[in-house]
Amino acid sequence: MRTKIPLLVCLVFGIMMFGQYFSAHPIAKAVYNNILEWWQIIFAFTLLVGVASFARNSLRNISQRKEPIHRSIALAGLLVMPVLALIGGTKTGSPFLWSFQNMLAPMQSTVFSLLAFFVASASYRGFRARTIPATILLVTALIVLIGRIPLAELISQSFPKITFWVQDYPSMAARRAILIGIGLGSMTTALRVILGIERTYLRGE
Amino acid sequence: MERLRTRWIIFLGLAAVVVISYTMNLPFKTSASPATEKAYKYIETLPESSVVIISFDHEASSLPEIQPIALAMLRHVFRKNLRVIGLSLFAEGTAIGYEMLNRTAGECNRNYGRDYVFLGFKPQYISAILGLGESIRRVFPEDYPGNKTDTLAIMRNIDTYDSVRMVISIADGDRTMQWIEYAGARYNQKVMAGLTAAMITSYDPYLSSGQLFAVVGGLRGAAEYELLYGRRAAGNRGMLAQSGAHAYVIALIIIGNIIFFRSRRRKREG
Amino acid sequence: MEIGTIIAGILTLAIYSFLYRDNPVYKAAESWLIGLSIGYALVVFWQSTIIDILIVPLFSEWRIILIIPLVLGLMMFSRFSSKTSWLSRIPIALMIGTGAGVAIPAMLYARTLKQMSASIMPLISENGTPNIEALVVLIGLLSTLAYFYFSREHKGVIGNAAKLGTYFLMIFFGATFGYTVMSRMSTFIGRVDFLLTDFLHLIK
Repeated sequence: MRTKIPLLVCLVFGIMMFGQYFSAHPIAKAVYNNILEWWQIIFAFTLLVGVASFARNSLRNISQRKEPIHRSIALAGLLVMPVLALIGGTKTGSPFLWSFQNMLAPMQSTVFSLLAFFVASASYRGFRARTIPATILLVTALIVLIGRIPLAELISQSFPKITFWVQDYPSMAARRAILIGIGLGSMTTALRVILGIERTYLRGE
Repeated sequence: MERLRTRWIIFLGLAAVVVISYTMNLPFKTSASPATEKAYKYIETLPESSVVIISFDHEASSLPEIQPIALAMLRHVFRKNLRVIGLSLFAEGTAIGYEMLNRTAGECNRNYGRDYVFLGFKPQYISAILGLGESIRRVFPEDYPGNKTDTLAIMRNIDTYDSVRMVISIADGDRTMQWIEYAGARYNQKVMAGLTAAMITSYDPYLSSGQLFAVVGGLRGAAEYELLYGRRAAGNRGMLAQSGAHAYVIALIIIGNIIFFRSRRRKREG
Repeated sequence: MEIGTIIAGILTLAIYSFLYRDNPVYKAAESWLIGLSIGYALVVFWQSTIIDILIVPLFSEWRIILIIPLVLGLMMFSRFSSKTSWLSRIPIALMIGTGAGVAIPAMLYARTLKQMSASIMPLISENGTPNIEALVVLIGLLSTLAYFYFSREHKGVIGNAAKLGTYFLMIFFGATFGYTVMSRMSTFIGRVDFLLTDFLHLIK
């Protein structure tokens, strides 16, 4: 029962959403539109569950004195945004948007920009022409790094041409093969999920 | 300790190169890549009042790179008197997109509700993309400020992709792929992208097959677009620093390999 | 200088302090970031979905059918009790089944058929010269696919093709690395712009 009902739901909705692709009938369209809406609504509830879970774990950790200060700061951050939205709305000039623009966005982009330093460090430490494949990787990376800076164009117009050629043909061919492989794999997995052969989504409660 | 010292030297070196080259502020004349030129020319040739959807499908983390692209394209679109439907398939893109849209529309004296609208965010991006193909109003019954979509002048006679000339996805990940695979495949919607540089190679097959119409990629792409548009801004401003950073990384790779080969030769001889 | 810019600058420097080493200032900023991110997402999801396409249509426009996703959504909260957690499988199964159903035609058309057809280009041009680019793409595609074909041992023809596929993959990874460096540097340049221009007013 506990497994059969979800498998049946998955089968029914999977077949419905696959089948409607081939039908322009108004009933099929109506069913399709409704299910798309339900999908969004249930998805939003999964976020609410995630937030509740985060809050619960944070409170548990605080009571058990596991990094209480950091957990408290995170919890405070979680509460600040909804409170600001309730007080001042979410439009231009609101405290909610102000917090996003002056705290959230700068911190997020700064965390991401740390990667520039680690990429530079990795380039020095790890990028070695040990083998033929490694050498090919290194040479291609150098071609792109040189070819995409304006200074290189001042030296010679061949640099960007070589970069675009490498990008548009050999590199693209490999990426295309990966895409085709992913496409075939995704289709197979989707079929297995709909038919109930793949059941990993039923675990982890 | 030695490794830590080397790491700090590398970090300080990078910071110094970027800060000094950024401070120098030398203007650069870059040539536009074929993909950027294609994007520019298409928007340039669109008739006035054509409707484009601009989807802000990115996080705040990529803002420094994405924002110059988005601003350049938005300014171009508004200068051409195109009508813009803004939306976001990423929660963080909502606030960012709303602010950028209002800013650039204000620069060009465009009216909210008549010349542009920001519909906001909807989760489960595949569902949203497919839903827009059936009814934009059903997916977004209200816009981000809370107005009923039905009441907005721009939305008169527009309810599906049929009325939309182009979807421009400003993305830092695979959202553009979903636009191509769902809106493009099912509804034949033309899709263009403004992407972070890291994603460019991932989209090359779509560009080659024609499923993705054009790409403006990275800060370099923004600089190219600004050059075509005729207004030097953040993209162009960052090109010398970009060149410096690249030269620094190239030097690190070369030095690292020289040290590696020399120590390997020493081990063989020793 | 605006208070917002000062706060943004201080938080930026707090994050950059990680480059020296992990420290309490960085940890505090990181925790604050995590909390704000979750809080922001909560507000946006609540407003855009729960209110706009559930509560308002259900209670103002009386779209009774929306009771179904409401109940299914509430079932997700059953995860918090071990006795009732199995109920959450139903809405998850709906989402998974729906996603799988729409994915099949999309993957088939966009990722497989369209990509394959784009690879089939004339190998000889109109003027009789070989189309090198088309040859490179075809060889690259087939050899990389051979690399990912694990149903046969990589020996003989397949083995050599797979080896060639490895080289094409290295070209792709090298190009991706180059562009990734470009991307990360651009993000750092953006932060440098903020620090030097808006925060420290050292340049205009």
